[in-house]
Amino acid sequence: MRMPQALEVRLRISGIFVLLGLIIEAAALRWSHPTAFLVFALIGVPLQSIGILIFLYSLIAVRSANGDRSS
Amino acid sequence: MPAPDTLTIAIFLLTVALVLLLVLRPGLTASRPGKVLAFVVLFLLPIFCTLIGTSEQIEHTKQTTFCLSCHVMEPYGRSLMVDDPHYIAAAHYQNHRVPADETCYTCHTDYTLYGGVHAKIRGLHHVYVQYLSTPKQPLHLYTPYNNRECLHCHLGARSFEESPTHMALHDDLVSNQMSCLSSGCHDTVHNVAGLNSVKFWNGAKP
Repeated sequence: MRMPQALEVRLRISGIFVLLGLIIEAAALRWSHPTAFLVFALIGVPLQSIGILIFLYSLIAVRSANGDRSS
Repeated sequence: MPAPDTLTIAIFLLTVALVLLLVLRPGLTASRPGKVLAFVVLFLLPIFCTLIGTSEQIEHTKQTTFCLSCHVMEPYGRSLMVDDPHYIAAAHYQNHRVPADETCYTCHTDYTLYGGVHAKIRGLHHVYVQYLSTPKQPLHLYTPYNNRECLHCHLGARSFEESPTHMALHDDLVSNQMSCLSSGCHDTVHNVAGLNSVKFWNGAKP
């Protein structure tokens, strides 16, 4: 079964944000400095959160699209 | 440089690999197991990584090197190397009465991140001052030094309990009515103003 194009794109975007967040968080863990804490909290965590929110939105969007089609 | 432990690295690497797989092959999520995988990889694992990452970061903030990485703390780091047993902080650091890699935190357990809400707000203020402002000199504690920081090790220790002075003042010390750092007792702590006129020990630097 072929996935809708929009869902694939959203999953990719979500994954890229999560990936960037993870890489920044991992890099910050290798460094013991107040700046590392800020990079972790103010760049890594928000990027990951955006990725997670896009993923959750894609779930809702695909459900509502299926619901619209079935009604 | 502190190394995050192997398990943390393994979890991060696993998550990165799985996210990369989904980014390159989003079509995997068309099947039911694929959807479960996407939920785990794009929701549960990132949250888990953030939690363990936050825990590691908080552990980093306990390290002596972390505290001394702020320029304004440099004289306090130097004060740990003073070659004079009357300097309380130096004597504790040099004789490993406190862990050398967590020296600051061991005696300032209620400071900034580790204290109550007010202390945490002060911690945010420190971040602001570090990056966007200039600290007011001389630096000072926000509240008088709490004897609890001394007594959590010394109370019950033979050297403390058998001292006639400590015994005479026992209740006042435990109730914080009298400070351990009172004039005439242990009143030379960091004494950063006098660092230009003291000898330094050449041992392991913080």
